Amino acid sequence: MGRLELGVTLRGGRSVASHQFHEGALRVMRPHYLDDSGQVCYVVVNPGGAYLGADLFVIDVEVGDSASLLLTTQSATKVYRTPGSFAEQRMAVRLGEGARLELMPDQLIAYREASYRQRTSVTLRPSSSLVMAEVVTPGWSPDGAAFRYEEVRLRNEICIETDAGTQLLALDNLLIRPPLGDVTGLGFMEGFSHLGSLVVVDARVDQELADELHHLTAGYDARTGISLTRTVAGTTGLVLRSLSNSTGELNHLLAACADLLRVRWHGQGPLNLRKH
Amino acid sequence: MSGYQLALQQLTDSALPTGAFAHSLGFETYIDRELVFDEESFGRWLSAFVAQSLTYSDGLAVRLLYEGGELRELDALLSASLLPREVRDASLKMGSRLLEIGTEVFPSPALELYRDLVATGRAAGHQPLAFAVVARSLGVPLQEALAAYLFATVTSLSQNAVRAIPLGQNAGQRVLRKAHDDVAAAIGAIAHLTPDDLGAVSPGLEISQMRHERQRARMFMS
Repeated sequence: MGRLELGVTLRGGRSVASHQFHEGALRVMRPHYLDDSGQVCYVVVNPGGAYLGADLFVIDVEVGDSASLLLTTQSATKVYRTPGSFAEQRMAVRLGEGARLELMPDQLIAYREASYRQRTSVTLRPSSSLVMAEVVTPGWSPDGAAFRYEEVRLRNEICIETDAGTQLLALDNLLIRPPLGDVTGLGFMEGFSHLGSLVVVDARVDQELADELHHLTAGYDARTGISLTRTVAGTTGLVLRSLSNSTGELNHLLAACADLLRVRWHGQGPLNLRKH
Repeated sequence: MSGYQLALQQLTDSALPTGAFAHSLGFETYIDRELVFDEESFGRWLSAFVAQSLTYSDGLAVRLLYEGGELRELDALLSASLLPREVRDASLKMGSRLLEIGTEVFPSPALELYRDLVATGRAAGHQPLAFAVVARSLGVPLQEALAAYLFATVTSLSQNAVRAIPLGQNAGQRVLRKAHDDVAAAIGAIAHLTPDDLGAVSPGLEISQMRHERQRARMFMS
């Protein structure tokens, strides 16, 4: 079990935590600043090292007007056996006017007989900016076989909030249940083992950017698709999905896309978390 | 003969002018990659499509509407969860035609309402929901509505494959016969899904549907 609350606001040109609370097996490391942009970086730590059956982790993040947060993890999310049950992470994010979040967690590894549900809901204003990445591995089993877990369910709900109300922009729903049938072949994982995804929501997202990112991904050993979401209150999102055979290749591909946006929109350099 | 039988046949006939002939819903990408090139390989794609897109998206949406789901909410969920743009546009194009045709030949207060929501920008107008509204107003039971919708989609996709691959007419019929089992399995699966499952289509199909946007040689809009 674990609970984490983090509120970030802009003070004197720098983003700082204005609210922080944790209990159980979730906490954040001391904040750091990777460049002089004022963006604060927090690293989520799970000292227990893994998620087990019936574990529930709840994360609440609020980024205030014009503040900027980079949120990542210390290491891969590992889900061990969850017999007759499942481990769950629920994350709620709210972004204020002009607020920005980059959510760049490490990869997900579901072990043999693991079930995992992750539900992330992000509510943002038309002026906010969101980049969120995710890598799902084929899991781990002692005999080396892939996809031996029971179920991985990842659900991202992204809503745009205006003074007229809140509307769903994108529902990015992934469900992999290997016991139900072959997930490796045509139409599912297409012979690949790893899945990467990137969601970008920002008023500057347009078809030209989607085409440019598509061109960028062509240089990686992965099969990638990019499409624009519907438009709500003038804001459009972009969803990228990519299949590959390694965490490293997908991390490079996703980082290249995120870096292009860091440089172009925020005048920052490429992201270097110096974790590995 | 049940009161709705002929109506349901008209509604699911491949001659119904919704523009289904213009959509491959992603299989043209597999043709381009030479992964779909004959009867057997198209059948494999079709099985995956029925078990994924038609089950987790269209089929579940039909069921949820039948079970009293709120029309505007389901409409918004489909717009948000159909992530490949061309597939979302296809659902809206065919949905809008179905709303028009339905209003002329099978009018009902529920259909008027959906059309009004779309006309005033309060809903987008998706094909499975337009179909479900009409079928429900005609008194078609859920299982029959699902079977009719799924098999009508499978039929138009197979006809498109016959033209595009190309396949012989008899091969197209054999593919359709084999798809009976996929459709039956999908109807069984849809009954056991939860609302949370809506839109959980497999990444491989979605990536191919997305990549179709940038494919050079193409005869289909999706």
